[in-house]
Amino acid sequence: MAVVSVQGQDLVVEMAGLDKLWALKSRLTIPLANVRGATVDPGILGDPKGIRAPGTHVPKVITAGTFHHEGEKVFWAVRDAQKAVVVELADENYTRLVVEVDDPRAVVAMVEKAMSR
Amino acid sequence: MEAAAELFARRTYDGVSIDDLVKWVGVHRNSLYGVFGSKRGLYLAALRRHIDQDVRPHLARVARSEVALTWDLLLLAAVDRAPDDSEVAELVSSVFVELDQAAGDPGVTEALLGRWLRARPDVERHRETVSDRGVPFEHDALEMAPGKEI
Repeated sequence: MAVVSVQGQDLVVEMAGLDKLWALKSRLTIPLANVRGATVDPGILGDPKGIRAPGTHVPKVITAGTFHHEGEKVFWAVRDAQKAVVVELADENYTRLVVEVDDPRAVVAMVEKAMSR
Repeated sequence: MEAAAELFARRTYDGVSIDDLVKWVGVHRNSLYGVFGSKRGLYLAALRRHIDQDVRPHLARVARSEVALTWDLLLLAAVDRAPDDSEVAELVSSVFVELDQAAGDPGVTEALLGRWLRARPDVERHRETVSDRGVPFEHDALEMAPGKEI
């Protein structure tokens, strides 16, 4: 589970509990100017994820860490597909983040509102 | 984009998933995110395209005649997305202002929107269903009006 918040001009994604360990990352800070959008997307978990490096992938249990797929670098931290949110980035180390959050619709609304400020 | 606009015109925004868009539009999920950034990004692009290609070129003609509107995406956006998305609200409002100006009377816009609502196939189906249950609609009521010869 990740906790997503807007702090000043940044989007902050913090891993909660053991997900820090599985994802090998505890916190990501992205300038809002580099956030292109956020989307609730349970179906993305069914797509190919590419090569894990480094991270954890136990099919149907957890996908966490950095994955390389078709030239894109994607950060994953998802157990429950129904709570997956995709955050698309520009000019960042990661092309996109796919994270599990407590309330996907609320997170998407928060990101969209922050982007329009 | 045209296929996405068609899908968004059929269902509410929340009723369209990324899986639906991937299947309907025939694009890869990664490409969709890469080009539009999000579902909202694709929705706004589809709505803008619809307004520019399907709505604006026909404003004057629609304002003058009794033609039925085929602007489902615009009108669904007005009721479904505009209350939650200020950018959609701005787009929809600007078109209604242009339609008022083309018609020279806001009442014409209201009549057009009313006709669109009543002409929707779903509304027609609902009318038949309710009518079957014995609830009279306007035309039924006229048939049953006192003093009318049957």
